[in-house]
Amino acid sequence: MIATLLFVAFVVLMLVGVPIGAALGLAGAACIALANTDAQWFGLLAVPQNFYAGLGKYPLLAIPMFVLVGSIFDRSGVALRLVNFAVAIVGRGPGMLPMVAILVAMFLGGISGSGPANAAAVGAVMIAAMSRAGYPPAFSASVVGAAAATDILIPPSVAFIVYSVLVPGASVPALFAAGMIPGILAGLALIIPAVWMARKHKMGALEASMPRPEFWKSFREATWGLAAPVLILGGMRAGWFTPTEAAVVAVFYGLFVGMVIYRTIQVRDLFVILREAGELSAVILLVVSLAGIFAYSLSTLGVIDPVAKAITNSGLGEYGVLALLIVMLITVGMFLDGVSIFLIFVPLLWPIVQFYKWDPVWFGVILTLKVALGQFTPPLAVNLMVSCRIANVRMEETVRWVGWMLFAMFLVMVAVIAWPQLALWLPNKLGY
Amino acid sequence: MSTPPESGPTLDAASPLPPQIEAADEPAQVPLAIEDWATVIIMGLLACITFANVLVRYFTDSSFAWTEEFSVFLMILLAMIAGSAAVARDRHIRIEYFSESGSMARRKRLSQFGAVLVAALFFLIAGLSVRMVWDDYRFDETSPGIGVPAWWYSIWLPIVSTAIALRAVGLFIRRGRRDDRGAE
Repeated sequence: MIATLLFVAFVVLMLVGVPIGAALGLAGAACIALANTDAQWFGLLAVPQNFYAGLGKYPLLAIPMFVLVGSIFDRSGVALRLVNFAVAIVGRGPGMLPMVAILVAMFLGGISGSGPANAAAVGAVMIAAMSRAGYPPAFSASVVGAAAATDILIPPSVAFIVYSVLVPGASVPALFAAGMIPGILAGLALIIPAVWMARKHKMGALEASMPRPEFWKSFREATWGLAAPVLILGGMRAGWFTPTEAAVVAVFYGLFVGMVIYRTIQVRDLFVILREAGELSAVILLVVSLAGIFAYSLSTLGVIDPVAKAITNSGLGEYGVLALLIVMLITVGMFLDGVSIFLIFVPLLWPIVQFYKWDPVWFGVILTLKVALGQFTPPLAVNLMVSCRIANVRMEETVRWVGWMLFAMFLVMVAVIAWPQLALWLPNKLGY
Repeated sequence: MSTPPESGPTLDAASPLPPQIEAADEPAQVPLAIEDWATVIIMGLLACITFANVLVRYFTDSSFAWTEEFSVFLMILLAMIAGSAAVARDRHIRIEYFSESGSMARRKRLSQFGAVLVAALFFLIAGLSVRMVWDDYRFDETSPGIGVPAWWYSIWLPIVSTAIALRAVGLFIRRGRRDDRGAE
């Protein structure tokens, strides 16, 4: 009864546009009070305690730091130099610029940890270049939005950090390693429909006549950007830093490149960079902490296990349940952002994961792939929001183009479900 | 290596900096600069403390344990202070799909409703956490890492929660005014 109230209240509040964190916190607090009518202060003292405890976890510190890395590299001019280098390699021709956009987004995915930051960095360089080459802005926005979604799969990734805090059996390094191969596959899978659509609709006709940057010069200029993922991922692999420390090292490396080498960041830009990164992190962290109240009320009400039992006894079988979960999450993902999906659904789904003995790391990769799909599925697609704003098109115009790219990435998800080793081989190999 | 961006290769004449998509802030009664400066200082501190920890460990093979507790405290403070600015700027994650359609009056009511609920939640947290701070103080609780009095940390919870709630009240008032103007 109270559990029903919890969900109904939460869903209604969320749909009418109450901030998701506030909806989680209020629904949770109301249920705690109703379940403890005889306790002192209705047991509500648990509210500030869980709010505080939900945030007070050292691994979460990696979130503001990776968000900061994203906003520094966003302004450092690394993306432009990587684009030039990529063009120097693949050359000019129809369909080459969309491919470059995807490759550069994947590479930046190895530096930053969030999709929208990636979409902003790649979009700022590629969308203008693509319209000059004759690609329609809506197509460019779709390609950039989809390509940036690989960011949360390719390590480092804010999504994996949140998942690892929620799930005890999945360490951040193991998740980072597990996301690598699916992330690269997802990027490669996006290239096929992007190039095919460009050729089929004869887009980018002007591209062949544009100059090709000189290989060695562009390579030299891109070196600083090319070295960044080596530093971040290699440093973590070598055991030099924890994920949080790797992020901080990347912050100072990015500042050095931006302020000393490329001179694209001035001292006064630091205020804006720090403020925006701080505010964006706070928006994520507050949802994390308020979800702590929601999760606490769920666990004290004891509703998760009966629901999980009902699902596992429904006779659908392991893959039937998994298919059901994916359909449900894709529907929810059209309206909710990735971090909120993790915070709400991981505690709910955890007993099911344990029942079927699914590998927590593999399940994390599947969930993240799903969230990546949601990042460019209209109407609520955070990456498309950013890229459409840069391209100055409405999101409805991208619907025509994103379909095939969604399908391509969906196939990658099916492949990871069918062959779990795609995700699990690398972390096993590295010994996590 | 320090090629200025304009002499770079010819792919793109656009500035390598992303366009400033930032919208101008709505004027607030209490300047947002308070939260903004605090956010900038905390972010800077967090980055510097963690970086210093890496350097110290690299050169001396020892690390200072107190940084972990203090960094976590700073992160909580960051989430709340920057979160307060985000309330005033209406940047918190919410589903706009239904609330941003329909008549102006409906949109106004829904955005005011959201602001009221944010205010209610944080007033509630502020009130309840006073009791938490009082317990920390009364029982001489000390923090597990450094051993300083626990209320040094928890005292900020009611203070900043009240600030967030007041920002939400401010947003409620401004949303009430904005749409009146828009309707004229």
